[in-house]
Formats: sequence, C-alpha cells, structure tokens
Amino acid sequence: MLSERFQIKLFLDPKSHVELEALVPVFHRFIRDKVLPELMIDVVDYSHVHDGPGVVLIGHESDYYVGKLDGVLGLVYSRKRAAPAPDARLKDGLRRLLNVARLLEHASDLKPAAQFRRDELTLRATDRLRAPNSADVAAELGKELQQFLVPFGGATVERIADAKGAVGVRAALKAAPNLEAWLEQLGGPA
Amino acid sequence: MTVAATWKEKLAGHVREDWAREIDVFETQIELRKKNKIEEKLFAETRLRRGTYGQRYDNGQRSDGEKTQTLTFPSGELTKGPGTMWDAPGMQRIKIPFGKLSPDQLDVLCDLAEEYSDQILHVTTRQDIQLHFIHIEDTPDLMRRLAAVGITTREACGNSVRNVTACPYAGVCSTESFDVAPYASAITFFLLGHDDTQNFGRKFKIAFSGCKDEPCGLTNFHDMGAIAKTRLVNGELKRGFEYYVGGGLGSVPYPAALFDEFLPEEELFPITQAVCRVFGRLGEKENRARARIKFLVKKLGIEEFKRLVLEERTKLRPDERWTAFLKDLHVTDEKPLKPPAALGAGSYPKGFDAWRASNIRPQSQKGYVTAKVTLPLGDFTPDQGRAIADMARRYTGDTLRATVEQNLLFRWVPEADLPALYSELAAIGLGAAGADQITDITSCPGTDTCKLGISSSRGLAGELRKQLTVLEDKLEPAAKELTIKCSGCFNSCGQHHVADMGFLGVSRNVNGRRVPHFQLVVGGQLRNNAGSYGLAIGAIPSKRVPEAVKTLTERYVAGKQDGESFQKFVARIGKKEIRKLVDELSAVPPYEQDPSFYSDWGDPREYTIGDIGVGECAGEVVSSVQMGLAASEREVFEAQVLLDEGNAKNAAERAYSAMLQAARALAKDKNPDMGDTNDDIVSEFRAHYYDTKLFFDPFAGGKFAHYFFRAHEKRAEAGASKDGAHQLIEEAQLFVEAAHQCYTRIGNVVP
Repeated sequence: MLSERFQIKLFLDPKSHVELEALVPVFHRFIRDKVLPELMIDVVDYSHVHDGPGVVLIGHESDYYVGKLDGVLGLVYSRKRAAPAPDARLKDGLRRLLNVARLLEHASDLKPAAQFRRDELTLRATDRLRAPNSADVAAELGKELQQFLVPFGGATVERIADAKGAVGVRAALKAAPNLEAWLEQLGGPA
Repeated sequence: MTVAATWKEKLAGHVREDWAREIDVFETQIELRKKNKIEEKLFAETRLRRGTYGQRYDNGQRSDGEKTQTLTFPSGELTKGPGTMWDAPGMQRIKIPFGKLSPDQLDVLCDLAEEYSDQILHVTTRQDIQLHFIHIEDTPDLMRRLAAVGITTREACGNSVRNVTACPYAGVCSTESFDVAPYASAITFFLLGHDDTQNFGRKFKIAFSGCKDEPCGLTNFHDMGAIAKTRLVNGELKRGFEYYVGGGLGSVPYPAALFDEFLPEEELFPITQAVCRVFGRLGEKENRARARIKFLVKKLGIEEFKRLVLEERTKLRPDERWTAFLKDLHVTDEKPLKPPAALGAGSYPKGFDAWRASNIRPQSQKGYVTAKVTLPLGDFTPDQGRAIADMARRYTGDTLRATVEQNLLFRWVPEADLPALYSELAAIGLGAAGADQITDITSCPGTDTCKLGISSSRGLAGELRKQLTVLEDKLEPAAKELTIKCSGCFNSCGQHHVADMGFLGVSRNVNGRRVPHFQLVVGGQLRNNAGSYGLAIGAIPSKRVPEAVKTLTERYVAGKQDGESFQKFVARIGKKEIRKLVDELSAVPPYEQDPSFYSDWGDPREYTIGDIGVGECAGEVVSSVQMGLAASEREVFEAQVLLDEGNAKNAAERAYSAMLQAARALAKDKNPDMGDTNDDIVSEFRAHYYDTKLFFDPFAGGKFAHYFFRAHEKRAEAGASKDGAHQLIEEAQLFVEAAHQCYTRIGNVVP
C-alpha cells in the first residue's frame, strides 16, 4: 500500500452494548501499564460528537478510536506516521487492530464487555496525495486486503461510496474467523 | 497511475508565491532545527508564528494517576522549543479572518483533520479552527494545502497580531452601522507580517463590531476594538469607528479604553500601525505577565498613550494601502444563491420550531435568515464538515462563519428553505436548538490539551451540557437565555468573565490531596460588546458545579423581577447571597468516602496539577533582530543547497540576500523608518554600524562588513561560476556570524 496513513475498522457487535465512557479508564490503563507495544500518549473523549471518533487513544505512530465514524460503532486502527515498508503496512496494521480488539474483548474493567463482529472490515487510505479517491486506488486497496482474508475463505470487497471522504473499501468476510486465530495467522501482535 | 511525489509538487502554481516561499522557509527551518542549527527558543517562536503550538505532555512527562511517567519519543532529546519534545503531538491553529469560511476551504480543513489530526475540527473562541495531535513534520504540507485555498496560518500564535475577529452577522445585521467585514479583511492582510508588528512582547488581538449594543464583536476585551459608526460631516455621511485600545481578559481583565469617539475610516490603518509601533517600542518584554498592551495603556494612562500614538502617526511614511481598500469595500460582499422567500405554512419536521426559535435570526435583507449550527464544545467531524460545506453550496452558495461561541453560521438562507436545511442538519446530528443559550456552553481546551490547564473545562462543559439538555424542555425561558462559559485556568480563553455564570479552573488541597475546583464568576455581561466583567465568588469542587448551576438557575427563575437580567438579579440580591450558595457546596467528602471528587470530569486518573507545563500563549521573547538573523542563517543554508543543485547564479543571489537580511535586521533596530531598497539597507547599515565601527570585529576589524559591501556591488560576478558562488556563500556565513556577534556585543540579546 502506497499510503503511509490508513485506517482499518472492525465493527462492534451491536449486542455487546459497549458504552463509550467506559473505555476512557481502559485506555488510560493501556497507557499506564504500557499494554501496547508502541508509545501511547493520551486519551481523548469525543463521545459528545455525533458519529465521531468516540473515545480516542492517541499514540505516536498510531491512534485507536472506538466510536461511530461512518455511523456504525467499531474500533478503528489509524496509522499516522512511521509506517513500515509498503508491502508490510497493511499486515502490521491488521495485527495492531486485532490485538487491541482482543484486549478489549478480554478487558475485565470494561463492562459491558466488548465483542467484535468478524464478518466485516473497512480499510481507508487517509492520504490523498498517494491515494486519491478513485476506482483504481480502491481496487488496489481491495486486492491487498483480500490477500489477508484468503485463509478465511476470502471476502467480497466493494468500494466505499464516499466521493469526498478518503478512498476506502469494505470487505464482507465469507467465514468469520476467530479473533485469536486470525491474529495468530498474521503472526501475533505487532 | 501517476501521483505527485509531494504536496509541494502537486500544489505548485496553486499557492500564492509569497506564501509558498514562507512555507518552504518554515520547512527548511524544521530541517535546520533537526540538525541543531537553529537555537530551540528561536525555533519555538518561529513555529508559534506559523500557528504551530505545543500541547499538554509535550515535555515528555505525563501523570498516569499514580505516578509521572516519561514518554519516550523516538527523536530522543531533540526539542522544538524549551522543554518541548520534537515528537510530541501539538496543536495547529488556523486563522480564519473574521471567521469567514468558504465551502472549499471547509472541505480542505476536513481533509486535513482526517489525515493529520484525530478526526475532529475545533472552533475556537476567536473564530479560528484548531486541529490537535499534529506532528510538527506534517505541518508544512498542511500549510500548503491550506494556502492553496487562501488560508495562511502565519501569526496564528506567538507575539503577533492574532486572528482578527468580527461580528459574524456583519453585512446582514439589522443593527449595524455598516458592514465591518471589508475592514477586518483588509487590516488582517495589512498587518500580517508587517514590520511594525514583529517586535511585540506579547500577542495583540483585534475585534470589529458593527454596532455597540450587541455582544457579537466583544470589542471591550480586545487589545484593539473598533465599533462601526457613522457621522454627518459637512452634510456627508462619513464612516468611522469608535476606537478602543487596551482591553483584555486574562487573570485580571481590563476594559478597553476609548481612544477616539470617531476615528475616520481613512485613519483606521495608520492609527493602528502607530498603536503597534508604540506597543512594540514601549511594551513590556521581560515580565511576560505584564506584557500585554493593556498594562502599557494602564501605566501610561489613555491620554499619554494617545499622545504617543498620535506623535508616532506623524512619523509614518505614507502607505497607499491605508486607503486603497476603501475603493472596493464590496470585496467581501456575498451573493446569495437563491432569491429570498418567506417560510410557507405547513407541517415542519420534529424539533424544527424550537430550532427556529433559538438558532435563526432574520437578516436585514428581507426573506433571508442566518442559521446557527450548534457544535457541542465547538467540535465537529470531517464528515459533518463536508456535509455542511455541501449544504452551504446548495442553500446559500457561498460563505459560512465560525463564531466566537464556537459554532458555525449559515448566512443568506432563504427562509423557505429552513425546514429542509434543518432536516439535513438533524440528519448529521447538528440540529440541536439552543444556540447561545444555557446548553450552548463555551469552553477553552483546558486540561484536555492545554499545557496551562488546571481543571477540565471541556469535561465540565460537556457534563453541564449533558445534564442541562435533559432538562431543557422543562427550563423556564429566562433560564434558557442564561450563558455559561468555562476556562481551565485564570487565563480566560473560555471568556468566563463575560458570561452569566463563568467558571475558571483552580485546584485546592484537601487533606493532603489535590481536588479539582472551579471558581464561580458572576456579574459578567455579554451585551454591549462584553460590557462588564464578572467577579469570582468562590471555589466549588468540580463535581459539584452542575449542582451549583442548577441551584443558581432555580434561584434566578424563582426570584427575578420582571425582565430582570441575571446580572441585575445578582447585583440586587448581592454577592453575599451567592457566596452562601458557594459555601454550601464547597465541602469535599473524604477520599475514602467518595474518591470521585479527587478526579476531574471525563478523566478517571487521580487529579494532579503535575502535568501543568510552561504555556506557549506568550510565545518566546525573540526580538525582530534575532528573527532577522535567523532568517539570514537559513538563507545561507538555502544558498548551499542551491549550489549543490548546480545553480550558482541563484546560490549567489541567495547568499547576498542572506547578508542583506542580516544587515536590514540590524539597521532597522537603529532606524525603524528606514527605506527598504537594497541601497537603503546598505546605506543605513553603513551609517549605523560601519561608520560607527559598531560592527567591527575585535580582531578582523571591518573585514566582514566589506564582504557585504562587495557582494552588493559585485554579486553578479560571483554567480557566474561555481567557485565564485562558493566564496560568496562563505563570506555570507562570516557576515551573518559577525552580525550575531555584533548584536550580542552591543548588549541587545534578550535573556
């Protein structure tokens, strides 16, 4: 992927009823206990914003949002700088996303517990210089995403219809993988 | 598919040449700082003057509620200012002169928030847009993309003329004397980068208002405030301004002093320029707490200050820009997209009536209205922003305004389109009623992101908004009309002095533990351009502030006399009564009983003031000479790059320009009114530094000055060959170094 900045989203299961405010102390704990293998800096609560990023864990290289960007509640991994080599970026991002999803599912201080759907992902390249919003770029993104979904039966990938937003694709997975197995298959937490 | 390698390449030709050059220069300065070739204090002021600000924890220390941890940034010890780590995310302030935004500009701002920030755009209390958690190395591209749509971030922070604000209803308001927008626009660009605004000890804020009675311009608390006024002179209706200076909030608010009851429009620019010169020359430079112009005006008295300004006015060299803009005062006019149309009868969408009652205001142009978009805490997402831009294109055709109440405003909406506009806003979660009312709370960033924040003003504002919105339908109309403003500390960015109920963050020690509190401020007046300031009554624990607001509101509704404002109510019952309420709410339960009092709103960490850093609001005291010398150093570096690229001619020109820049910086220090041609600079430098031997090196004498004089005469020869250009660069380096030494020797370096 040419874009150094991108966002991958995994959706929360509507049945899990996660309350955004409950994530604030969890993310503070992630920073305090250095739970993630990267430098995390701060937590911001934007739960007052309609369909916004929600509660944001700010890092040096990446941010994590649990919110309703795009209108549906989910976890977004946002790579913003110091991305790995182009051919390693997406895999690295997926590993980080799945790791945090897994941590949230198992967070004993998050009640009600988070549960993620495994049947859908979105990927957006938030870099209009290297990834303008075009059918070609979307097709490239979809192709790259597909390769990580093949072990789970592949996916139906379509371009996100959003002429002004960042280019993106939505992948509907044919078989919902187990989160742990999926992460393991990608090589474990990044 | 071919894509441009950089934004610079992609936007070539789309950015004003001078702005493009400024951004290139800033990018070079970033590179020089990374190589430790620019001193950190100087770089700090340089980036501040480009609107690139520090944020909380940028000293690399952060309390996790139990202990303070070090944030180990990859760039190690590299800093972007004193105690400010290079990699620490920062805030980018984006000046939006008088809040005027086009849909295309809003689209770009949304793209930037999506790509570089945290998906949020924030409207400030001075009509700016701020993006948070931005890395310094992303800022040049961000600035280029803004510049391509006509926005500059230059002088958004630092000791400079900040964003010029104005009434968002200018041009469509029924109470205005005339439209102040063209004046606000013209003075923005007249003062931007002006020589006479580069030597301030602190920031300088300007506001325009179209009328005296309404609150929209808030001129009373600005360093310079201008209220539109007309007067009959020899039978002709002349335009001018009721002109004020020396107002300001901060820890001790000062009302602005009347400088002139009627300043003719032709004198607006020269008098403001003269004010800036007097402030630059006599304003405090060392004691940052007393460096705003309000202290100078207070110290001198308005009459003496005025005398000095008028004397300075006589020394100014005439500038055609003073009046050129008056020839086309329609430059900021807006052309409505649609013809006016009255609202038809019929059934309207749910919530429409309440929204219309509070958020809509008729324009002076019949059939058109303005529509305010209430943004919770001034925040909105890129998707919301793009939708608003799209609505503006379809309903009004042109501009929006950011307001000091941290909202957005549509203008030129045909009244008949209101139901459709409302439905579209409601669909993106922005159809809330209550604009400028009790639920529409203003707040500065506070401890969320500000280094100076003491308590969480945004956390408090969010909580109050949540609790009051639930009650909104049950609130009496008089209660709904109340205003609340919150600041995270005494610096007043949330403008707490001019609300019915203002809150400013403080901390208290209770049984050995810190507890976040807010001082309650009452008696402030928003009308009459922020006509009077409230006073702090006492401190309330943060967690009890909602209770205080509820009790005060109930007292007011129950006890007010007919038509009595909250301000008059407070004056009548007396502050002792209010104090009693504060006292009743001041108790803090022991930690063991209720630990929630010991953390702030929206932040579960145990409260501490250990995260407070050194604020950058004041900028760094760097003289205009130091800024000039730094620029000359950067030009020497650029000359080297040009030579490496094989361009000897341009390298020689750049090396000469570096010398010229250094000489000009020194000479201007001696004669601020000097001319600006190359010959003028050489002549002034010679008179003040060479003939006086001030520039002479103790060992080399006047050798380095000769390099400059020779370059002035023969730089074309030097540029004819690589060797010649190389030698000129060497000489430029030595000359700039000698200029530094000279400036230090004559004792001008600000410690």
